[in-house]
Amino acid sequence: MKISYNWLKDYCKYDLSVATLAERLTNAGLVVDAVKPVDDDYCLEIEVTSNRPDCLGFIGIAREVANIVRSELLIPDVEYAASDESVNDITTVTVEDKELCPRYTARIIKDVKIGPSPEWLQKRITSIGLRPVNNIADITNYVLMESGQPLHAFDFDKLSGKEIIVRRAKNGETMEAIDGSKCALTEEMLVIADSQKPVAVAGIMGGRDTEVSDATKNILLESAFFDPRNVRRTSRKLCLSSDSSYRFERRADPECVDWASRRAAKMILEIAGGQVAEGVIDQNSLESKKVSVTLRMSRLNSLLGLDIDKDTVKDILERLQFKINSVTDDCFSVDVPSFRGDVYREVDLIEEVARVHGYDKIPVKSNIGVKLTQDNIFDKVTEKTKSVISGLGFDEVITDSIVGELQERHGNIWTDDRGIKIMNPIRQDEYLLRKALAHNLLRVKKHNQNYGVEKANIYELSKIYLPQEDDGMPEEKECLSILGEEGFLSLKGVVETILSQLNIVQKLESIHYDFGLFSPEKSAELKLGGSVLGYIGELSREVINDYDFRSKPCVAELDFNILVDKANLEGSYRKIPMFPMVTRDMAIVSDEEVIWADIKGCIESLKIDCIDGIEFFDVYRGRQIEKGKKSIAFRLIFRADDRTLRSDEVDALQEKILENLSNAFGVKLRA
Amino acid sequence: MQEGLSEIQNQAKDDLAKAESLDAVEQVRTRYLGRKGGIINEIIKAIPGLPPEQRSSTGKSANMLKQEISKWIEDARVKLADKEQTSEAKEMFDLSLPGEHKPYGHRHPITQTIDEIKGIFRKLCFDIEYGPEVEHEYYNFDALNIPADHPSREDFDTFYLGNKRLLRSQTSTVQIRVMEKKKPPIRMIAPGKVFRPDTVDARHASMFHQIEGLTVDEGVSFSDLKYVLTLFAQSYFGQDVKMRFRPSFFPFTEPSAEIDISCSICKGKGCSVCSHSGWVEVLGAGMVDPNVFETVGYDAEKYTGFAFGMGVERLTMLRYGIDNIRLFFENDLRFLSQF
Repeated sequence: MKISYNWLKDYCKYDLSVATLAERLTNAGLVVDAVKPVDDDYCLEIEVTSNRPDCLGFIGIAREVANIVRSELLIPDVEYAASDESVNDITTVTVEDKELCPRYTARIIKDVKIGPSPEWLQKRITSIGLRPVNNIADITNYVLMESGQPLHAFDFDKLSGKEIIVRRAKNGETMEAIDGSKCALTEEMLVIADSQKPVAVAGIMGGRDTEVSDATKNILLESAFFDPRNVRRTSRKLCLSSDSSYRFERRADPECVDWASRRAAKMILEIAGGQVAEGVIDQNSLESKKVSVTLRMSRLNSLLGLDIDKDTVKDILERLQFKINSVTDDCFSVDVPSFRGDVYREVDLIEEVARVHGYDKIPVKSNIGVKLTQDNIFDKVTEKTKSVISGLGFDEVITDSIVGELQERHGNIWTDDRGIKIMNPIRQDEYLLRKALAHNLLRVKKHNQNYGVEKANIYELSKIYLPQEDDGMPEEKECLSILGEEGFLSLKGVVETILSQLNIVQKLESIHYDFGLFSPEKSAELKLGGSVLGYIGELSREVINDYDFRSKPCVAELDFNILVDKANLEGSYRKIPMFPMVTRDMAIVSDEEVIWADIKGCIESLKIDCIDGIEFFDVYRGRQIEKGKKSIAFRLIFRADDRTLRSDEVDALQEKILENLSNAFGVKLRA
Repeated sequence: MQEGLSEIQNQAKDDLAKAESLDAVEQVRTRYLGRKGGIINEIIKAIPGLPPEQRSSTGKSANMLKQEISKWIEDARVKLADKEQTSEAKEMFDLSLPGEHKPYGHRHPITQTIDEIKGIFRKLCFDIEYGPEVEHEYYNFDALNIPADHPSREDFDTFYLGNKRLLRSQTSTVQIRVMEKKKPPIRMIAPGKVFRPDTVDARHASMFHQIEGLTVDEGVSFSDLKYVLTLFAQSYFGQDVKMRFRPSFFPFTEPSAEIDISCSICKGKGCSVCSHSGWVEVLGAGMVDPNVFETVGYDAEKYTGFAFGMGVERLTMLRYGIDNIRLFFENDLRFLSQF
């Protein structure tokens, strides 16, 4: 809302510099975004919150200023002398849809002289950024800005049938608006029509055909109240908005409808001449409801933490034009004016008092004491996990939950169902909720590669959204996805480090798992104590080609809630051994099919007490090894809690292990 | 014989002292310890020819001497090796070379801001709560006293998923979920992602982060709100931050306020960050609307409370002078590694 500093003085006398006025308005809740000098005047741009449509006119703003500076609010006179001819003899108004148009008034002004507005009027509307058109259009704009009530003037002689019908548009009807835009109307939209065609989109814009022109002689002046929601919807659908629709959308004051019409009629008479027909057609189906509210001083002071007195409260409310009915020791009973649709409860009045009295006068102090906050295990595990991954050199990324089709193309991690669709996406190609994080990490990797960052060791800890049956609420799964550039085993090591740092002792199993995202060999489902922890793999050739990656990234995606469930942050301490360890390095030759987990499992199944560790070294295939076989090297660590082990004891154990491995898998000690 | 040995000991010491090269040391070693003709070995070889009563003691002494001379020779070698290396080597170790770096992982700047703010509110005895990102219309609007025809419900302000489901457009949803579960007193913050179909530009993203706060108890007043948020601002922006509480409007609070802080860039003189006003808006807040209490079944006469919300991206942008919100979600590592 733009306000002229000089013009505002018509409605209340004040002696404030423009800077002070701006500051005081801001502190009362009418934020002045900018102050711009215009000739000998200033234009203040005020941000009016959606609950205060009463401040979308000069008089509304003046009401606030009058309260701030404690001066009188000056309302212009709207009395004029009408002609003998009754408006009812000239035209008729039929409101077919009273829900969308609860009130419609029409006045007729005959024999006006169209021409440019007088200089003072042009100057005023120019000062708030409007363009002068002709005297009639300028006057309706002037009164709109003054009162906040939109008006429209039709060229009466161009209305077919000399009548107004307020009805829903018919599908397929069109109208060219004053600004030249062609409106394709539908039956949800309300129009003002004559006997043949729409002549205005209700509350938004008039039609070009019936616009006031230099040749216009007789005018039908419309002032109405339209349903806010319908105006907003129509305006959005047509991509057409105006100073009028802006106000109707926010709810104009139904009781100002006739006042604004009179005011405009009077000004037209004074400026453009002619005669105003006697009376007004007022199709009013609104019931006038008196809203009364009781305000308790005790409640006001306790809610605000203030100690304000009754006289101050009374003064503030009266200046805002609340009518005080009765006063008792603690209570005011107050009638709310029609333009304050936002006030209907005690707390609304408390806000009015707080706002005008000044938030800055409310003390900064507190009675709320200390309390013990609850432990949040999720936060603790998150913190620990992130510090471990950061420590391993991975950067955290945050990617958009809304994704495109790409996630459907490269194999599904958590579900085969399609992602949940957004009904009103902003980007045509991105309209699904992600059901995995991995694909987003690939996009981040790609972005970085495009900008010359060749290595991206990254991770994200965020939610994915798994669809449920019957369009129910999705399962929001907190996932940890990691992209690593150092190969499969390095990334698996990252996962293992996270598990060990969270003191998760259950065995991590990697089970071969075939799906499109990963290469056929290096692709596994990770299981932890029977539950699926997630998936890990090296990207398949197809995916690498698709993204044009110059490296071979690996990705792991884990169900983070499993980590939260199984983490043991309390931890416990294990005694440092008293007796030295004895190590034995072994290399065994086996068939390709024999895997490390089998070998380790076999050794563990022997339940040898003094085995303290089985550490994998490497796998070797080559000249010294028979074709089709491989050599697996590892270290056995032996230790007893109560003595130093003897070499011959260890030799015997090693012999036993080899014998068992040999029986189970036919392995041989490497020569 | 014993005297002979101590003479040999002294002689060996002298010889080693005179040996100025590794070669010379080797000569000394051969002379005393050489297998063939080494002085000590000769003595040991001669032991069987000694009278029986001398054999044992001479053997012991000779062995001790052998060990001693071995040690001297080793010391002399080490000393000379060091010396020769420094005098012969032309290479110089460049102390100014950069250290070797292990990769260092960074947390996302948004995470860092959230963590810092969580830390501040933990100190103020606030619990941390979370809520779902896909919400029912009820939690995003109805329960928050947002009327059926409110513009924020239109599909250009909220992403809809059908069947009354939507992507939450504000973390205020968590207020309702927590109040449904718990009875007062409540003191909590709820960080999280929110979504709005804004056209993406330097200041708008369709996904961003908010932190919601809520306190409910008997006798909580607007003074408490000012107190808590002042402590927060002092902690996050610095002790000398100036604050301005302005009346505003939110459907779920009454009275409502917007809170500005003095612009940290220009110190209140006016710059482009603060649109030349000297103030930057950082928080929305207010006393919980009685309709909200009614919805969750709290007695609005007995309990009062305050709620607040802030935009994490905005706070982060202010802190670091970042001028484009898109940087947060492009995840360019050249950007992320700066935090």
